[in-house]
Amino acid sequence: MSNIYAALEIGTTRTMLAVGEGETGGRLQVTCHAEIPSAGVRKSQILDINQVTQSVKGVLHEIERKQSETGSSITIGNAFLIVSGQHIKADPFTGSTLVEGRVKESDLAEVAESARTMTLPKDRELLDIADQAYSLDSLGGISTPVGMAGRILKLDTLHIHADRNRIEDARTAADGAHLEIREPLFAATCAADAVLEEHERRNGALVLDLGGGSTGYAAYCDGYLVSAGVIGVGGDHITNDIAHAFQTTQGQAEALKVNEASAMLLRAESSSPRVKIPGSSPLMESRTVSRRALDTVVNARLRELFAVLRETLEERDLLHRLHAGVVLTGGAAAMRDIDELAHRELGMNVRRGRPIYVDGLDKEDRPEAFAAIAGALSYAHHNYAEKSIFGFDRLLKGLFK
Amino acid sequence: MLLIGIGGAGCAMVRGVTRAFGDGLRYVLADTDAKTGEAGGPFVLIGGDRLSGRGSGGDIVAARLAAEDSVQSLDDSLEGVRLAVILTALGGGTGGGATLETVKHLSERGIPSCVFATTPFAFEGETRQRNARGMMTLIEEAANACFFIPMDKLVGDAESDMPGAMRRAADTLASGVTLFWRLVEKPGYIRLDAERVRHIIAGAGRGRFAYVSAQGPERAREIVDSLINSPLLLSASGPVSSILCGVLAGDDLRLSEVGFVSEGIRESFGYKASFELATVNDEETFSGRISVVLMLFESTRPESDESKGGEPARRRKQRAILSTGPTGRGRFNNSEPTIWNGEDLDTPTFLRKNISLEF
Repeated sequence: MSNIYAALEIGTTRTMLAVGEGETGGRLQVTCHAEIPSAGVRKSQILDINQVTQSVKGVLHEIERKQSETGSSITIGNAFLIVSGQHIKADPFTGSTLVEGRVKESDLAEVAESARTMTLPKDRELLDIADQAYSLDSLGGISTPVGMAGRILKLDTLHIHADRNRIEDARTAADGAHLEIREPLFAATCAADAVLEEHERRNGALVLDLGGGSTGYAAYCDGYLVSAGVIGVGGDHITNDIAHAFQTTQGQAEALKVNEASAMLLRAESSSPRVKIPGSSPLMESRTVSRRALDTVVNARLRELFAVLRETLEERDLLHRLHAGVVLTGGAAAMRDIDELAHRELGMNVRRGRPIYVDGLDKEDRPEAFAAIAGALSYAHHNYAEKSIFGFDRLLKGLFK
Repeated sequence: MLLIGIGGAGCAMVRGVTRAFGDGLRYVLADTDAKTGEAGGPFVLIGGDRLSGRGSGGDIVAARLAAEDSVQSLDDSLEGVRLAVILTALGGGTGGGATLETVKHLSERGIPSCVFATTPFAFEGETRQRNARGMMTLIEEAANACFFIPMDKLVGDAESDMPGAMRRAADTLASGVTLFWRLVEKPGYIRLDAERVRHIIAGAGRGRFAYVSAQGPERAREIVDSLINSPLLLSASGPVSSILCGVLAGDDLRLSEVGFVSEGIRESFGYKASFELATVNDEETFSGRISVVLMLFESTRPESDESKGGEPARRRKQRAILSTGPTGRGRFNNSEPTIWNGEDLDTPTFLRKNISLEF
């Protein structure tokens, strides 16, 4: 029997909903997805719940319309929520337990339990706990300690948590569209789940999820998630910079960013030196701006973003451990030449990330924009379908009304 | 009005203006090098304690710190001043470093400032060019009006010998400023008094500046042609919003010539721009000749009661930016700011990093 899941992303620039279906133990197929421009969201945070509710209703309607075209008829009742924003933090926490003689399976359960006792402030909501390596007495970096002799077993973890009110706002907005939020998930780790190969996690890799309002990151070393967070700068900042530099509307600036701008300055030499900006209304005349000035604005913003990331990674002593390089995901990863600039600024191999563990997104023009939502569906498939029938039924009951 | 020369090149230009203008011009020279003051005239040594009067050695940061230390030593010269005009050269050393601190100090004292600054020749290298670009943005933020004049455009002739080219560039700018001074201090039939100039400058912003001269029966036409083709007035950054034009001539100046020049300028730079015209009639100096000083401003800053008293330019400039809000945060105005190392990352990067855009 197939399992069906839905994932919702309320982004700064777009609201996206996707539905995935897969056999237990098999690969997931994204059967349908829809996206519409977001309203009422800034820097990945909801400023107008009513507008967001309308956006969620919009994607639900679009999904239902697409499903009906294929002869299906479902009503989506719940979805996993993908969240981002600079309110998301990650803190390390170490659990420990006493071992008698050799480490047993029960010790692993105990130390895992201990590692989950970290108390968050009331205004924080836990998104994820990522287990890292074990240590036994003074010996660290152990992946499977069962059978080893020692006295104190420890487990390092990374707790990712978010502002509870921000998550509640998203729940309220979805509620208004009669959509129940199943579980909030961090966008950057979802994206990493979708695009990273196992060898990349082992060798050290960084996933940068470049959204409209913020940039999430997730760093992996030795197979473990070792650092994660969000920088409150995204593609919208590029748009805003362009609007300020050339005194355009945000819509004109967005069009310049998507259609004309490059992250690298060199391209300006080989292209037409002027870029046309159509009038913002039929009564307004079009005008031109310097391509080099346009690229300078974009290049400055992205270089700064990569400099912030570089400093962040250096602080965590990670910069020289990410041997597999950087994978770019998110809508802003489609920016022209951004991979080349990231390579120069971060000094690592850089590639754009396409979802590799789900099917159905192969024909998308910008697959990197679907990484987080594919990762969320993949997470749902692996963590819920394989659980008890009760859990499966509960989800199914919620999904279909 | 007070004329201030900052740095070796700025002081040399001020001396050029004083020689050409004659008596009655109020000025002060400011430099980190004590030798500059040895030639006479009112002189203020910048950063005497820090640099011991030996100059900044081309170090902008040292000059800026020196000016921070001792900018108050200009105060004696500022008594009763309603408008300060600064001549300086950017790119390195005292002019590059001390000009900004001087402008900020004037602003704090409620004195509007108008900066004429040359920027380095292209052959002087990227470092000096970059230094100049960085300071231009900061000076523009702090000053009421500013004119940045590339030395390449002042000379225009690549075949000039180098010492001659440097001297000619400085002389050209000094001559233009001298004519501007005459407009204010020795007005003719159409007057432009100091208070009106102060009013215009206080809300001007960044502008373009040129002066041309011609003689003979077609002198008015030649004036207009020269202005239209002047490299100093070429810019693609935006439409002109206000024009200040001074016509200086002898007693033979005809009404038709004034009309032809003003019409030619308005036709070339826009009828929609506000237009201020003034004349000087000085038979002794300009007999048979017409000189025209032209200032073009691309954005007129809103003048408030505060600005009449010399409101800090930073605030006025912020109000003038319409589409993205006072700080450039634009659509992020009501969002929680992203602060990194003390900087608000929601503000456009190119603004915070003082990156000049080649429009």
